[in-house]
Amino acid sequence: MAKNKKVYILGGYQTDFARNWAKEGKTIQALMHEAMDGAFTATKIDPADVGSIHVGNFAGELYTMQGHLGAMTVNYSEKLRGVPTSRHEAACASGAISTLVARTEIEAGHYDLSMVVGIEMMKSVDSKTGGDFLGTAAWYDKEAKGVQFPFPKLFGRLGTVYEELYGLKYDHLAEISAINYENARNNPLAQTREWYMNKQHALSRGTFNMEVGGIIHITDCSQVTDGAAVTFLASEKFAKRYAKAHGLKLKNIPYIMGWGHATAPMLFDIKTEEAYAAKKEGKYILPHTRKAIVDAYKRAGIKGPKDLDLVETHDCFTTSEYAAIEHFGLTAPGEAYKAIDNGDIRIGGKLPFNPSGGLIGAGHPVGATGSRQLLDVFKQLTETAGENQVEGAKVAAALNIGGSATTNVVHIVGVDKGK
Amino acid sequence: MAKSTRVIKKVGVLGASGNMGSLSGGIFAQADIECVFFARSLDKATAGLEAAVGQARSDVLRKYIKAASYDDLEKEIPTCDWIFEGLAEDMAIKNEFFAKIEKLKKPGAIVSTVSSGLSIRKMGEGRTDDFRKCFMGTHFYNPPGKLPANELIFHPDVPKETREFVYDFCEKILRRVNIITEDTAAFAGNRIGFQFLNEAAMYAEKHGVDKVDYLLGPYTGRALAPLATIDLVGLDVHKAIVDNVVAHVKDERIDTYKMPAYMQKMIDQGMLGRKAKGKGGYFNRDAEKNKTTLNIADLTFSPTKKVKIDWVEKTKQAIQDGMYERAIELIKTAPGVEGDLVRHFILGYVAYSFARIGEVTPEADGIHGIDRVMSSGFSWLPPSGWVDLFGGVKETVAMIEKAGLTAPAQLKGIKDKGKICRVADVSKFLIGR
Repeated sequence: MAKNKKVYILGGYQTDFARNWAKEGKTIQALMHEAMDGAFTATKIDPADVGSIHVGNFAGELYTMQGHLGAMTVNYSEKLRGVPTSRHEAACASGAISTLVARTEIEAGHYDLSMVVGIEMMKSVDSKTGGDFLGTAAWYDKEAKGVQFPFPKLFGRLGTVYEELYGLKYDHLAEISAINYENARNNPLAQTREWYMNKQHALSRGTFNMEVGGIIHITDCSQVTDGAAVTFLASEKFAKRYAKAHGLKLKNIPYIMGWGHATAPMLFDIKTEEAYAAKKEGKYILPHTRKAIVDAYKRAGIKGPKDLDLVETHDCFTTSEYAAIEHFGLTAPGEAYKAIDNGDIRIGGKLPFNPSGGLIGAGHPVGATGSRQLLDVFKQLTETAGENQVEGAKVAAALNIGGSATTNVVHIVGVDKGK
Repeated sequence: MAKSTRVIKKVGVLGASGNMGSLSGGIFAQADIECVFFARSLDKATAGLEAAVGQARSDVLRKYIKAASYDDLEKEIPTCDWIFEGLAEDMAIKNEFFAKIEKLKKPGAIVSTVSSGLSIRKMGEGRTDDFRKCFMGTHFYNPPGKLPANELIFHPDVPKETREFVYDFCEKILRRVNIITEDTAAFAGNRIGFQFLNEAAMYAEKHGVDKVDYLLGPYTGRALAPLATIDLVGLDVHKAIVDNVVAHVKDERIDTYKMPAYMQKMIDQGMLGRKAKGKGGYFNRDAEKNKTTLNIADLTFSPTKKVKIDWVEKTKQAIQDGMYERAIELIKTAPGVEGDLVRHFILGYVAYSFARIGEVTPEADGIHGIDRVMSSGFSWLPPSGWVDLFGGVKETVAMIEKAGLTAPAQLKGIKDKGKICRVADVSKFLIGR
């Protein structure tokens, strides 16, 4: 039995994903320092109150020749010396995995306050080298070795699976891309907020929007990003004290209602076999992604997408968001296009997807994405999401994926206000 | 007051073969606005179109831009809602085109110039009432796809409704960072930036080119060291800007604005900087492509020297690790002539900027307009960002006075105890090099 039933999110900080830290002549230590400093300043939390620190990071050793990133957090302040720290890696799901561990520690009653630091610095290398590093999130020897930009090709194959099983129109992927960029324009921390982008560009072909993997073109891809996002997770005892000290009401502070975590076989060939089998049974084609979502719904005590106000999903490519739309249950299997055509996923629609701009618009610093999603969910639920605020948001979901939909982590976060 | 009912559907860009004309025009096209790019020939206008496409990184822009020659002015200008002038920085050329435009434009159509410092009032002399009521400076910075600053200098005859419309349009549709600027020589950004650059050029005579650029390098809050910046903009452009200021302005530091004589000799010899291929400027490349540095005494080049000073290297290291407080402390306490020089320039920049409030930008905007133009136009750490980093107004005033400079009343008069700077993430301007 969990000692702490409720684990709260007290806020945090995200760095500006448009910044290029290598160009600024800075190290991953500087990125971490600024993110932590921003988080302590924004939440007014005293570093002395931190019980444990979890760092989500994919490949610091490769991109920056710096490992042991958990320990690096202690550089921030003498008050953090002695605090237990660790670093967690699950490819692009590293941020969410760190959050799962922090939440578990608090639930178990080990600590009252945990700091989660998602971080990745990717612009330190050229795009070809970076593409090769990202290949280590697949089964490198079998799926990525010697392949230029392996991941667009893997998610291009997801597009092919949809094409073969249900039919897929590129226009729907272009719409997903355009909505993410559109939302990013109003997000002051989004990497692409000043880029020229619209549906016409997504539908254009040529050097500026060339094919990079089957159906996947440049505009279907998430970005190469330097960035960090920090969140604080707290027990009810700490959250009560925090609320009192800062003139807040506990019912207005978001808490983790439920979570799901499921791992698929790593090879995309096997995922394809599973997809064909699932189709025959009328089920969603990524069974493990679906399982993570359903488990999260159950733990949160909600029935499905009609109980959600928004979703921050893992749109590493437009095909992954296409899959997420139906796997969340917004449509029947193979019918995500209906939700796109109806405008359901736009802000103001039935269930907005990625009001932040997602990984395509806001950026994708691999290890930071899971934390960034939860921070954006926190902003929505505390009505501090600015121009992209989903009105009256009370319950939100975040799906963070590692590899080619291999590691799947879902968090459902809500507030009790209005109850 | 009723909101403007203006609609901008079509923009004519004059001088669209030039860098600023084409890239600024591209910013309108990126807002899905039909543009006609005018140049002396169709080929030149097409080259401008390609530059705009390259800036947006999208072939879609071709749909919005039509290339035309000046022979098409009569046909196209009457249907334009905005005429954006990006011609050479020459009053006679601009006047020649304005005389043509005022006869062709529809009443009420906006005319703006991208001039980086010529008088807006003078450009309006001899023009029609309708022209003057719609005329302003929209000084975009180069390249506008990366630097969003836009100095807005309205002709005095422009009514409030039009001013408000243009301000909103530039901010919301063109996504510019607006700075309302007075019609003073070099406006705001260049006035402040070129004081720093010219004084650095003066100091190079005594301390040498390599040492000045080392001491005032990116770690002092700028993307590029000052003498390398002059090479980038061109010594001819530098001269045009500082001469214009000297001819029209009297301020407390005008002595630092007079271009050193050796720079005139360089210009006479065609040593204009990066654009003078082979001749160089402050820096050049030898036959083996190795970097060389100018010897000011005889205008020859020698291999570039690596300067290394302990406290500068420590400051850079602190910035690389994100330890900004330590970096600032090192600058504050830096020893010797070098420490004095660095503080003289940083504090001089802060003092000169604050002293310009009310002169180059409206008093009501405080330091914020100047902060916006120095960060969004020059990629320099904004002046009030330095005040915050130094520990506030009192501390900065004391430092300015200790450096032998005059602390302006506009800085001394600030009563607020908290942070002044509104520009986000000023740390990004402290570069670890």
